[in-house]
Amino acid sequence: METVQILGLITGVLFGFALHRAGFSRCGLVMRGLAFRDFTMLKVMLTAIAVGMVGAALLATFAPEHAHLKVKPLYVWGVLVGGLIFGVGMAIAGYCPGTALIGLGSGVRDGVLAVLGGLLGAFVFILAYPTLEPVLIKPLDLGKLTLHETLHLPYLPTALVMAAILGGIVFWLNRLEARARTQ
Amino acid sequence: MVTERAEVRTQTACETVAPSRSALPPWLIWGGMIGLVQIFAMATVQPLGVSTAYPQFVGWLVDKIAPGFAESQPYLQKIGAKIGWEVMLVLGLALGAALSSVLPGGRATAACELPNVFRSAWGRGFAAFLGGFLILFGARLAGGCTSGHMLSGIAQLALSGFLFGAAAFTTGVLTASLLLERTNGS
Repeated sequence: METVQILGLITGVLFGFALHRAGFSRCGLVMRGLAFRDFTMLKVMLTAIAVGMVGAALLATFAPEHAHLKVKPLYVWGVLVGGLIFGVGMAIAGYCPGTALIGLGSGVRDGVLAVLGGLLGAFVFILAYPTLEPVLIKPLDLGKLTLHETLHLPYLPTALVMAAILGGIVFWLNRLEARARTQ
Repeated sequence: MVTERAEVRTQTACETVAPSRSALPPWLIWGGMIGLVQIFAMATVQPLGVSTAYPQFVGWLVDKIAPGFAESQPYLQKIGAKIGWEVMLVLGLALGAALSSVLPGGRATAACELPNVFRSAWGRGFAAFLGGFLILFGARLAGGCTSGHMLSGIAQLALSGFLFGAAAFTTGVLTASLLLERTNGS
């Protein structure tokens, strides 16, 4: 096996372990999360994003040679329409592409079915790509835009402020949930 | 294999009852851990991203059955029908989940049943399959999923990540609220 494959495997095992311990093997967590009946999903996601945000900015600032960042292009139509379709699927399945594999790995039937559906969805997308590209991907492609570059703000301070805002939201969600429980 | 029993009314609470000696709540520990895994990924190869692996694997598989398929498809030429970092990451995800479920403490955190809105186990199974289809089709159209666009995209302050997150949560919240409404609580 090549080094890059081994690194992928190690990263995946750690990521999968953490997602399973956070409770994502069961689709109920995502469904309840989306219906705002349980904030666990949001709290885990926002915490992970905040930590990654600080880490990415620190890497880019102090060790740019080790910062393998990859900003995805903003092709407005594709990202928007894809996101809208994704949301419906996530609510119906109770899984996203990653957590479906957590279900599969821990032997949950619905996780296996979601992965199989995902493989078919990927196959259909491969075949549909030549038709979709000129309509939804090529037009209105604004490129790899970031918040700080667009607003001409320094990267590290912007990332720290945004991470603090996310932390504040998590804290607020937690208080809200604790209050609802005592009532 | 555990067959997920789709029962509505038996479900009372959805607490994660991890027998943890630590004072920190599980969501903080594991959310923070995912953030650290993200930093590891960024420092070694690239930010976390799961959904590319699906078409790469499908392309690789179909090409084995029907040689020449990968070369004939423009999308596979773009992403590569290969077993690289992405597919190994996905393999690791399932492996890590399996490991967690057999090690002590794994069962308790997984005990979270689904509010059944699809009446039967067949209906629920079909919904999981259909949902799986939609998340991959949507993610590939958008160029990323929860991990690539949100965990990684928003963490890098990418505008595409913010737009994807807003779009996915809009329809996600609407659909989930409508579905759970029909079950009359839980």
